[in-house]
Amino acid sequence: MDIKNKEFMLIGGLLVVVAGLMAFFPSLSDSDTAVDWISIPLVGFPIIVSCILLAFASQESRARKKIIAVPIRLFTLCASLIPLAISTALFFDWLILVDWDLMYNEFALEKEYVWIESIGVSWHVGMDGLSFPMVWLTSFLVPVTIITTWNEKDGATYHPLLLMMGGALIGVFVSLDLFLFYVFWELTLIPMFFLILKWGGKDRRYAAQKFFIYTFCASVIMLLGLITLYFLQPEGSGSQYGSVTGRTFDMTVLFSNATAYNMGDNVFLGEDMQNILFAMLMLGFLVKLPAVPFHTWLPDAHVQAPTGGSMLLAGVMLKMGAYGMLRLPIAIFPDAVVFYQDIIMAIGLISLVWGAVVCLGQTNLKRMVAYSSVSHMGVILLGIASMQPIGYAAALFMMFAHGIISPMLFAVCGAFKHHYHSMEIGSMRGMAKWSPYLAVYMMFAWMASLGLPLLAGFVAELMVLIAYWPEYGWWILLPGFVLAITAAYYLWSMQRTIFEGGDEGQPPESLNGETPPDITLSENIGMIILAIFTVIFGIFPFIALGMMDQWTVAFFEGVFNSGGI
Amino acid sequence: MNTEVFSIDFWKAFAPETILIVGLILIFIIPNLGNSKFRIPLTKIQVPWFLGGRRFKATGSPAIPGMLATATLFTAVGMMIIETINGNMDTTTVTSGGIVILQVDNFSRFFEILFLVAVLLASMASLDRIPANTFEGKKSLEEMYDNRRQADFYILMLTTAIGMCVVALAQDMFVLFVGLELASLATYVLVGFHKESKSGAESGVKYFIVGSVASGIGLYGLSLLYLEFGSLQLSTLAANWGDASALGPIALGLVLVGFGFKISAAPFHFAAPDAYSGANSPVAGVLATASKAMGMIGLIRVLLVVALPEADSDGSAIWLYTLATLSVITMTWGNIAALGSTNPKRMLAYSSVAHAGYMMAALTAVGAWKWGNVEAPGDYAEAIVAAVLFHLFVLVAFKLGAFLVLGLLEMEGGASRLSALSGLARRDPLIGTAMFIFMLALAGVPPLAGFMSKFLVIAGIVSTSVGDLWMNGTVSFSELHWVWWLALAMFINSAISVFYYLRIGVIMFLDVPEEGRRKPLPYGASIRMAIWICLVATIILGLSGDTLIDMCYRAAESLNLA
Repeated sequence: MDIKNKEFMLIGGLLVVVAGLMAFFPSLSDSDTAVDWISIPLVGFPIIVSCILLAFASQESRARKKIIAVPIRLFTLCASLIPLAISTALFFDWLILVDWDLMYNEFALEKEYVWIESIGVSWHVGMDGLSFPMVWLTSFLVPVTIITTWNEKDGATYHPLLLMMGGALIGVFVSLDLFLFYVFWELTLIPMFFLILKWGGKDRRYAAQKFFIYTFCASVIMLLGLITLYFLQPEGSGSQYGSVTGRTFDMTVLFSNATAYNMGDNVFLGEDMQNILFAMLMLGFLVKLPAVPFHTWLPDAHVQAPTGGSMLLAGVMLKMGAYGMLRLPIAIFPDAVVFYQDIIMAIGLISLVWGAVVCLGQTNLKRMVAYSSVSHMGVILLGIASMQPIGYAAALFMMFAHGIISPMLFAVCGAFKHHYHSMEIGSMRGMAKWSPYLAVYMMFAWMASLGLPLLAGFVAELMVLIAYWPEYGWWILLPGFVLAITAAYYLWSMQRTIFEGGDEGQPPESLNGETPPDITLSENIGMIILAIFTVIFGIFPFIALGMMDQWTVAFFEGVFNSGGI
Repeated sequence: MNTEVFSIDFWKAFAPETILIVGLILIFIIPNLGNSKFRIPLTKIQVPWFLGGRRFKATGSPAIPGMLATATLFTAVGMMIIETINGNMDTTTVTSGGIVILQVDNFSRFFEILFLVAVLLASMASLDRIPANTFEGKKSLEEMYDNRRQADFYILMLTTAIGMCVVALAQDMFVLFVGLELASLATYVLVGFHKESKSGAESGVKYFIVGSVASGIGLYGLSLLYLEFGSLQLSTLAANWGDASALGPIALGLVLVGFGFKISAAPFHFAAPDAYSGANSPVAGVLATASKAMGMIGLIRVLLVVALPEADSDGSAIWLYTLATLSVITMTWGNIAALGSTNPKRMLAYSSVAHAGYMMAALTAVGAWKWGNVEAPGDYAEAIVAAVLFHLFVLVAFKLGAFLVLGLLEMEGGASRLSALSGLARRDPLIGTAMFIFMLALAGVPPLAGFMSKFLVIAGIVSTSVGDLWMNGTVSFSELHWVWWLALAMFINSAISVFYYLRIGVIMFLDVPEEGRRKPLPYGASIRMAIWICLVATIILGLSGDTLIDMCYRAAESLNLA
């Protein structure tokens, strides 16, 4: 170890100390209730640490970057474990007693600091049964992604970007201020843009720009809806109201205004206004979800993105769309949901069918998996369109389950690409002979995604179908049939790659006759963690589902003014 | 407070401007100090005269003018900031024979700070961009050129600054026009400053011809205004605007042409891309920020102070539809033209056309505030004007910053092709990241200053279109004023603009540096410092713009709209 490396270790060590202090700084304050477990430990810490690491690494030469990649990725992994530890501890009440049994528009661990006084923006964070599973999922996926893609080239900047991505994503889920929400919403684009641009495949230039522009276009429309909504709210006075505009971006105020309207106390928007604003907000979220016909950025982004980028993109970023829908337009404009119910159902159904049918024709493994994501996101829309508490709970659980399964799908694709230098389904026969581990994980992930009972995906799909029946009756045959197609394309691709090929198998030509290797240890560890959690949440779904159920019931009481069926 | 010209109070109020003029005179004198002597006629007594002759070594250094100019600007900016930032300042009006000439208030101080900051950053950058070679020995012709024109360059820079300050201070359209011309003439020369290169001379001439035609039309408009009202005082014009005959609107239209050229609004923007790409980058940056702000002052004065209908009358301003159309054309044209340009400076020029369109859309919304039963329209107008001021101020941070990065590239060769930027992030990660952040700010990505300003502008437009409808209870979409669609047009345009801003980022981070540009970037301490200042301002003003927003509000309030 040369001198400079020692210096680096010293700086790294100092960073660890600072990071630890930053993360646990809140616990030093006096009372338990005043502890802010969200702002710094979950959101600020990953973003700030990754910025420091990136600034540090960018100053180094190419050769030095290779050397410092090892300590940096170790450090990033440790740093990413801190949010995971905290969010897990929050779930089990180890740190403080968190009452997750919340009424609608009540938030646990809520904190509010005035940020931009003149227009009523505050740093307002908090979690409820909708956001907490997503927060946990994000904090869980980041270390898993780092482990799975341990050997990615240019690790000195790659892994900090993953960490930054995690912080920004958690920021989206915990923010209770429209402005703050939008800031994090856009902030997630930047690390993902760089992940695709710097580590992507051949067409990465096109894919990165398409990804960024598509999402940006949709979200500016959403922003216009938010601003219009902001000015349509009544003026008020208080610390969260702007000193100049007299309005506030605070979501909780918005929700209570909307609830008051639903109770008939206060009328603040006309019907057409509600419908237009609902459509504007939904556009932003539908593109992110993505739903057909706004889905075309997804296959390109996924195919070109590096494995880690795909894992976070499919695992959490798509859920931002579903989360946003449930958090904003549906909660604020329940009447518009009724108005648009059939359209949402149609979009969901088309996404489901379209995604599945297109999957059948794919020859590229990653593209197929990407389209299967479109298909599964359609299931979430069906759950929302069902207007049943169980449908909403199913949508939530689908978000969560898909968040664990789809990273595994992409990890498998990434390992396939990494070791076989090819993504073509037809290029490989008899993988089980050469790479038994990869074959097992592939089989497991494919089964989980097609909804095998006892695995997490099944629970969500079943619940959606249950909710679908009372509302749309025999239309249920269509999603049921699509689930069969899903099984078909998964099994078919599995049959072609894993099996067949006779005794000798048929290694892909891209290997030039070398023996196909099996997956590395880090990929193995990452995938087995994902597999374990898929089984856990498949057998004991109530661990997560309990919280979601509570939230759904409270949501229906608060928003739709009913207990559902 | 009222003062006469050149009274004691006058000098107190105009201390920062006086410093500028003293600095200007010093740049004239100091490089010319020498050992010349003056012989009293008919005697042999020689009195040392110091101007001319053999120059002194210390004062004759070519680096002196640049340092003097930077120090002067720095002092003046510092004085103004200290004066303004602590709150409401007293309004000082300068009169001469009953005519109000200049007025120091929050509005004018705000713009003076903006102008001086922009020129200060540009002159800091020019210390490296047009370096003074103080080494001994043989020099190449080009270096000698650079040395000889140091004084010229900084004199013109300071003249631009003073002219712009006069525009900000003017309370009389004639004085405003004099200031505008003073600044414009200096910028015409600055644009054509590289007269040995073809594009420099060409762009200077183009800019001069188009600019002087626009000025001529504006001046004709002013003379018609004088014909109609018998005075060019802003207060007189505003008071009598309601009684104007048909001549009033015609004059207004002609005056708009003059200012429209300055803010590079379509269809008067054709000279802008040529001028920006021919000028060296710091100068182009000043044109895109300070010069545009100067035009905006003109528009605000004429449209909002003079030509707004009386507060008690019901109806919208006469220019409402014209400006709305122009703003949409301007922003769309700018963005679409920028999509196709392969010269980064032309691209930035077109993006500055688009930004002019955004600000015009905001002003349009002010013209629409008299509808419905809005009780206190002044609040809406002030909010929008404050948003426009905020936008103009933060433009200095990221647009000038982007031009300065190009200036750094010009130091090692041209920056007139996109490929000059390729691999910038690899050659110098910090400068590359800074450029990318400037681009994101221009596109309006949170949490940068560009997002904040665009956000405020759009919030202003939407607030006008909503008015106080929320009080009436159920609001239906058709009740909103049509200016809401301008907000949508703005958003669609910023979505288009992302494409070309992002392209710069992709080129910087992905492409391989072109031949001859593999070495690290030239160093240039002061241009880099200017870039850092811009970068920090872009981030800080985005994260926490409250102080600046307050300043903008105070400035907007002192316009006394409605």
